Amino acid sequence: MYSALQSAAAYRMNFIVSSLITLVGNILFPLVTLLIYRAGTSFPGWGLYEVLLIQSVFTMSSGLSSLIFGGVLWTTMSHVREGSFEVILLKPLNPLFFIIATTFSIDSVGLFLGGVSLFIFAAMHVGAIPVLFWLQFAGMFIAGTAVLAGLSLMMAAISFKWVGNSRISELADSVLHIGKYPLPIFPKAVQAAATMIIPVGMVGFLPASALLSRVHASDYAAILPCFLFLAAGVWIYWHMIRLYEGVGG
Amino acid sequence: MNSLKQKWLICRTVADVTYKEWSAYRSHSMVSIIVGPVYFMVQYFIWTAVYGDHSSLGGIELPQMIRYFGATALIGYLTMDFADWNLSMLVRTGKFLTFHLRPIHHRSFALFQKIGHRSLGFLFEFLPCLLIFIFIFGVDMRPASFPWTILSVLLAFLMNFYVNYTIGLTSFWLVQSGGIRNAFMLVSGIFSGALIPLDFFPHWLQMIQFFLPFQYLAYLPAMVFTGHYSLGGLELSSEQAVGIQAVAMLVTLGFNEFVRRLAMKQFTAVGA
Repeated sequence: MYSALQSAAAYRMNFIVSSLITLVGNILFPLVTLLIYRAGTSFPGWGLYEVLLIQSVFTMSSGLSSLIFGGVLWTTMSHVREGSFEVILLKPLNPLFFIIATTFSIDSVGLFLGGVSLFIFAAMHVGAIPVLFWLQFAGMFIAGTAVLAGLSLMMAAISFKWVGNSRISELADSVLHIGKYPLPIFPKAVQAAATMIIPVGMVGFLPASALLSRVHASDYAAILPCFLFLAAGVWIYWHMIRLYEGVGG
Repeated sequence: MNSLKQKWLICRTVADVTYKEWSAYRSHSMVSIIVGPVYFMVQYFIWTAVYGDHSSLGGIELPQMIRYFGATALIGYLTMDFADWNLSMLVRTGKFLTFHLRPIHHRSFALFQKIGHRSLGFLFEFLPCLLIFIFIFGVDMRPASFPWTILSVLLAFLMNFYVNYTIGLTSFWLVQSGGIRNAFMLVSGIFSGALIPLDFFPHWLQMIQFFLPFQYLAYLPAMVFTGHYSLGGLELSSEQAVGIQAVAMLVTLGFNEFVRRLAMKQFTAVGA
């Protein structure tokens, strides 16, 4: 993390521009929701600030995950493509830990701060939130970040076999898109898949619902698949490391 | 006549070589077969929920909206471009110099490359997604007018190329144009109408779109596809809309040529 900060300081203009673009991007993303509500319609049963709350939680979670796990995919992909992954394997460290520790993505700080700003704005408009709801939110937010971490690891694991495909991340992004909106607008099958199989509902929708006191007892069951998903990501990554065939170093 | 024939031969050869080169990575293109339908499915449910009891929003009915998002996705596969990234890389690495030694203008070369690359996109992205939209999602993907839609998509193809090439030309001053590229992609994502039709924007913002390149890349061709173009309170026929798009494309080409000439004066190289 320290070296990432030093690196950002060396290329500070690039860092500032990247962070600003990410920040502006996140201001523009909820614009679609604003325009929908401005047109006099809505997501049934959801107010404007409630939807913005979902989207802000999603952005915060993405930012946090991107800070810690964002570089895993690109670093793994680069090493596999160049055939230099064995250099990491030779180090006296857990390779996954080494990659995570050395790819702290400081550029994503704009994403995280953009999410926090939007979250504060939306939370101020949804009324008072009791302490218990904040605790529920914290638990679900951590679970949602675990889902994103699991997805990053799975995408990185795919890159061991699907060498040099820079579009792998689009696969995860497309599925994550579901988590940016209220889950009840989707059919039951999609809702079930988004809470139990690839629990993207936990990234934005369920933590925000916890703050709004809209969760049911059954929703808490979705926390377990999130951590199983992360465990699956770690396991698949390790499994692919074992299958790695290098060409030198 | 001979000159035209020679240019056609060069175009065909460059496009053919690019097609073969990228065919080795066709699975990259095939990611769209998963990503495109998933995005479309999400849009489908979002807008089905948002319409609720409304028969029309922003002057657009739900089936037309679904067709619109299907069209923007498919048009995106036909017009996708990264000429800016490519040119920036050539400038940064100094390889642009070699194009001064070739008997072909680099911009033409890049355009022919794009034709080859998108031919591959047509086979491995456009056609599979078109079939998925028609047979799995049951969307009517027949354009209101085939000739005007094809012409509009062709103009969007050229417009996208010239805009991106202009962004790539900024590398002659900045060396690394990644920041401008990201900024443009960000703004374009919103104002091209790929996320939400421009009818939903405030009136003044809709009017500004006539003077910016964004709507000509996705919104206008998608609306020509649906057969109902309106923006800023103006309702235009397909012929009129495509006419405006053609003018915008020519202005962009002119601006691109102006920037290119300035950029060439800026160019220095130290060896091939």
